[in-house]
Amino acid sequence: MHKTKLQTIYLSLLIAFICLLLPWSGVALKLRPDFVLLVIIFWILRAPNKCNIGTAWFIGLWVDLATGGVFGQHALAYTVTTFVAVIYQRRLVLFSNTQQLVYVLLLLLISQLTLLTVKTFAGNESLGWAYFLPSFTGVILWQTAVALGLNTSRASRSK
Amino acid sequence: MAGYHQNLDQQQAPAFFARGPSPLARLAFFSALSLALMATDSRLQYLGSLREHLMVVLQPLQLIANAPSMLYESTNEYFSTHHRLLNENQLLRKQALIQAISLQKMKTLQLENTNLRELLQANQSLEEFSQLGEILHVGRDPFTKKIVVNRGSVHHVVEGAAVVDAKGVIGQVTRTYPASSEVTLITDKSLTIPIQIERNGLRAIAFGHGRDNTLDLPFLPANVDIKPGDKLITSGIDGIYPKGLAVATVTNIQTTPDSPFARIICVPTGGIENHKQVLLVSISQLESTNSAVSTNQTTENTGTSVTAAETVKAPPMKASGQHKKITNGAPVTAIDSSTPNKPNAQD
Repeated sequence: MHKTKLQTIYLSLLIAFICLLLPWSGVALKLRPDFVLLVIIFWILRAPNKCNIGTAWFIGLWVDLATGGVFGQHALAYTVTTFVAVIYQRRLVLFSNTQQLVYVLLLLLISQLTLLTVKTFAGNESLGWAYFLPSFTGVILWQTAVALGLNTSRASRSK
Repeated sequence: MAGYHQNLDQQQAPAFFARGPSPLARLAFFSALSLALMATDSRLQYLGSLREHLMVVLQPLQLIANAPSMLYESTNEYFSTHHRLLNENQLLRKQALIQAISLQKMKTLQLENTNLRELLQANQSLEEFSQLGEILHVGRDPFTKKIVVNRGSVHHVVEGAAVVDAKGVIGQVTRTYPASSEVTLITDKSLTIPIQIERNGLRAIAFGHGRDNTLDLPFLPANVDIKPGDKLITSGIDGIYPKGLAVATVTNIQTTPDSPFARIICVPTGGIENHKQVLLVSISQLESTNSAVSTNQTTENTGTSVTAAETVKAPPMKASGQHKKITNGAPVTAIDSSTPNKPNAQD
């Protein structure tokens, strides 16, 4: 089994959450990747028995609290995203690095699309194509992390 | 996909596949839960106090997150040059002098105004209660125009308070937390603000445009008397914004032959995105009951306007006392004294 400790997971989530809380503004705000979701995806893929859909939902609630939107929208988006992530988690070992990147990009887009749907129902927001930029910056961040040595597939194979 | 799972499940499940309920069950459960939460939050408004309590937990994290930028700013301030400080000081002194003079004039005018209103037996115009707040950060959702200010319900900020900077209105408090509050800017698509054209007293409602920091004045006829350069000020008839604050300047009017309405674009006067300090102005109980009376006489014991309800809630005794005094003093005929005497085409 993994040697991943529960504390590691929660600590990394906490750090990601603080990244979200940083005072972003202007262009940086529009480019800001979804740190929390990236960390959740990482742990879902690496240690699915420690971090699952419930965790994602719970963290999503806190993200909703921090962003001040309708309560539950991030929770829903994270739930849906992690569901897709969990479904394909066992196949992930077969993915090459590029495939994995595309996969993560798709996951991030799924989350944003879910949010978009909810926001469209709620009305009142003006969104442009720039709305999807954080997914791409998110993938760049993921690749950076992989280049720095974080690896999901290797770890899940060496069980 | 499902077949793939069944195959795995039929095999004797190894320990690392034992994951409790299936992902689909979890998805269904948690999605339902979040949908329920969303419905409750957006339609029923039960979660306001819960949000407030949870925000207390978030406060220390917020402090940690703000620490780096705070540190940067304070060191920056420390190393600011002597010369620049002197210049700034000089400028501020000059400004203070000019403002002190106009303030003196203002005091006599105010006194005169009060006396005149008493003579006319009109409603007294309002005392405003204001406090200085500092912007903590911009809202985290890049597609809504919000800022978070470091004054909250602990500092008696109420929802609905107007937020003003040196040049004009910039927004309204839409949510209060214990030590901070969320301000929706006037350029946000969900915020509307009752205004009046300074030049001719025409009343209208300005809507935030949402995207490029402008305001719209929709539903005005194509031949409406508005010119580029006209100043919009708050009309004060809503009981939320104090009267006469600058809001925006009309920059562009487009009329198309196939539409009965003019498309009027205005640019906010207040520096929405370049200030650190803002003023939170809430109208005192006296004012809100006043305005409630002036819009509708059905407010004998309950304030109809939102702020009236908000503020009366806090000290009920005092508010109702004042309210009685006003209704006794002011005859029903002098209701609309806060609006200009000119006949208005629009409302």
